[in-house]
Amino acid sequence: MREIIQEFFKKTLTLRLFWLSTAVILLFILPLFISTAYISLISEMLIMALAGCALNLMMGYTGMVSFGPAGLYAVGAYTTALLLKKTGIPFAATMVAGPIMAGLVGAVVGWFCVRRTAVYFALLTLAFAQIIWTIFFEWYDFTGGDDGTVGFRKPELLLSINSSYYFILLIVIICLILLWIIVNSPFGKTLQAIRENPVRTEFIGVNVKRYQLYAFIISSLFLGAAGSLFAVFSGSVFPDYAHWIKSTDMIVICLLGGMYNFLGPVIGSAVYIFLSKLISGYTMYWMLFLGIIVVFLVLFMRNGIAGFISHKIAPLIQENKETEK
Amino acid sequence: MIEVEGLTKSFGGLTAIDNVYLKFKKRELSSIIGPNGAGKTTLFNLITGHLSPDQGKIIFNGRDITNLPPHEISRVGIGRSFQRQNIFPRLSTFENIQIALFSAKHINGKLFSQAKNMLRDETDEILESVGLTDKKLMQAGYLAYGDQKRLEIGIALAIEPQLLLLDEPTAGMSPRETIEITKLIKKLVKKRGLTLIFIEHDMDIVFGISEKVKVMHQGRIIFEGTPKQVKANAEVQKIYLGKDKK
Amino acid sequence: MDIEAIMGQVLSGLSVGMVLFLIASGLSVIFGTLKILNLAHGTIYMIGGFLCYWITSTFAHIPAIFWLALILGPIATALLGGLIEIFLLRRIYAEEMLYQYILTFGLILILGELCKLIWGVGYHTVSVPWPVDGKMSIFGMIYPVYNIFLICCGVAVFIGLMAVMRFTGLGRIIRAVTFNREMANALGINVPMVYTGVFMLGCWLAGLAGTLMPPMSVVALGTDMAVIIDCFIIVVIGGMGSLSGAFIGAIILGLVNAFGISLLPKLTIAFGFLLMIIILIIRHWGLLGKPE
Repeated sequence: MREIIQEFFKKTLTLRLFWLSTAVILLFILPLFISTAYISLISEMLIMALAGCALNLMMGYTGMVSFGPAGLYAVGAYTTALLLKKTGIPFAATMVAGPIMAGLVGAVVGWFCVRRTAVYFALLTLAFAQIIWTIFFEWYDFTGGDDGTVGFRKPELLLSINSSYYFILLIVIICLILLWIIVNSPFGKTLQAIRENPVRTEFIGVNVKRYQLYAFIISSLFLGAAGSLFAVFSGSVFPDYAHWIKSTDMIVICLLGGMYNFLGPVIGSAVYIFLSKLISGYTMYWMLFLGIIVVFLVLFMRNGIAGFISHKIAPLIQENKETEK
Repeated sequence: MIEVEGLTKSFGGLTAIDNVYLKFKKRELSSIIGPNGAGKTTLFNLITGHLSPDQGKIIFNGRDITNLPPHEISRVGIGRSFQRQNIFPRLSTFENIQIALFSAKHINGKLFSQAKNMLRDETDEILESVGLTDKKLMQAGYLAYGDQKRLEIGIALAIEPQLLLLDEPTAGMSPRETIEITKLIKKLVKKRGLTLIFIEHDMDIVFGISEKVKVMHQGRIIFEGTPKQVKANAEVQKIYLGKDKK
Repeated sequence: MDIEAIMGQVLSGLSVGMVLFLIASGLSVIFGTLKILNLAHGTIYMIGGFLCYWITSTFAHIPAIFWLALILGPIATALLGGLIEIFLLRRIYAEEMLYQYILTFGLILILGELCKLIWGVGYHTVSVPWPVDGKMSIFGMIYPVYNIFLICCGVAVFIGLMAVMRFTGLGRIIRAVTFNREMANALGINVPMVYTGVFMLGCWLAGLAGTLMPPMSVVALGTDMAVIIDCFIIVVIGGMGSLSGAFIGAIILGLVNAFGISLLPKLTIAFGFLLMIIILIIRHWGLLGKPE
């Protein structure tokens, strides 16, 4: 623990963390300046940023491309929403139950999925997510089916948009710090080794399948947390949260921001949601523009916005350092 | 140290390894030679658990390790390098070694401590020993080919093996690099008291490093002996050296 | 359920299954050769449907216009496919599967929105064309002729494709490229051209299915999303890249859906996914695919 704090302060001195803390402070004082419409937009960005980072632990760091992250996100959302609607247990407990349930489902689903690789892994995650979608969609008596689970209680503290914004901000920051610690731990480095070369990783004594399963479960936990937050934020939960199109949204968010950068999905989420609101305000054909952006990304900017910045600017700094030597 | 007893492996009717018996003594430097397709790499893959044999046993330090999965075989003290794909290209040279050390020290399951400065000295020491200290912050994929081979040996050493299996450690290298790498391997193996088995095409290296040479042909061991004996053996000359002189 | 009802379900299951086969066979052939999972394949099918509606309604005065649409629609989608392959897909064969998936997802959005621009958001129907518009009786029971016609089309295309792959030089070339791209290249086969050709063939099949479907169903936005997931299920069940696998998979899924709807309507959607999961877990190369 002490070394984490030390590391934190050492980092604070570097430029990157200066900007990061400025951004966080800005996020905290933002409700003083802008209207609630924007605050709720930013809340949504924060939640999708968390979902993106959770997915990225699996996709960008471990190299396991999942087509079904939305399934686990929806498990988190439905767990919290249904507990709030059907039971009287404390709000905090429902917020914890969401990620835990997603983690459990992730453990079962992941146990099967890690036995397959590449396209078969991806298709298996897709099929499981669609099963989850079907359950929420068809189990009308319990989940409300297509009408969704709506009208569940919310603690009074979170009734205003600003206070729910602070709640979301706090949880998302805590989760992101946890994820940051994990990806920079020996465990996180081992995951990156698996991404780079699973066969070689096996031969340095790592049980690759087991580590992939761990990554799957951790990713599910945080996807579930994002789902729980979104349930509370929007006050309603629908089967389409689990749909493969929602999963694709999450993948696009990771790709847009940059998969090989910790904060990539955060940038991706902000840009994606901002653009979608902006363009859809002008035209009913906004998905056309989204499609063009996606195709452009794949063809010309595969490392996303973060990758673009670090590939264009970082090498210049690196070169300077090397010539100094 | 390691014994292979009656090992057999076939792929769809084609016998790649045919009833092979081998024994390697502790701290012995041996090489396996033979024409392409003789089954050398398959033999390595069987020993390291990448493939499982149809028949036969592999005994390491008195323990039967046949059919153990690769990660466990690595843990009992067998390190290996591959012909290709040996490193973690998008990680730094330093991290390449460091992650292997995490595994060797059983700390790669740690979730909540910062990896950055862990095992720094141990990592630096290995980097130093393979001569990559000044390139430790480079992305490993951008290293020159020869340096990648050095890194690969470094990764294999990091798991603190007793037995080191190297699959063509000098393939594709320039003659100068080949000499350097050969010296490096010999030095490291002697210093750490390792047992070495390597597959090689280049006869200069084979005769330069190894104390024992095993000749493979069509999945069988056809000759064992010292480099001198191998050179003198007419059958080996006919099958192998005559055809595949470099 | 009496025998008549069962036969009716079988028939409707088979006729939907055969349309799905036409789409899935294209997806499977493309995956087998190009190693690309084309999400936008369902959208090509949908475009085929819109083309069918557009041609038959615009030139309604021409007799037998549906049959003309059946020729022109698939050709148009094949040409569109050719453009997509040459200008987009060709750049990403070397990339990871993720990028291929997302690129073709982008295509879904673009093509879907273009359809919306051109044909609007409404539902369109196409009437069943002469001479397959009547009813006929088999073993004393009455069925729509068009369903029988669809089944015949599916079987005919299946036999035709198998024959082309097995017995013609073209088929040999495609199989060689599928088996080993480098080796085919070394043998002097123009691999990029084969890729374009196979992709166009796949899109032709999707367009054919798209043109055949409207008389039995509706033409509308969003049909692509439903169909592509069904095709994934079929291709996984049969084996990715296997033609006869797609045929069997389509029949299985068509029947499962037809009987499921009447027996266990709530669980029907789940059945397909369950089948897909089971296959991926115990035999991920599919019923008729080849293990790697």
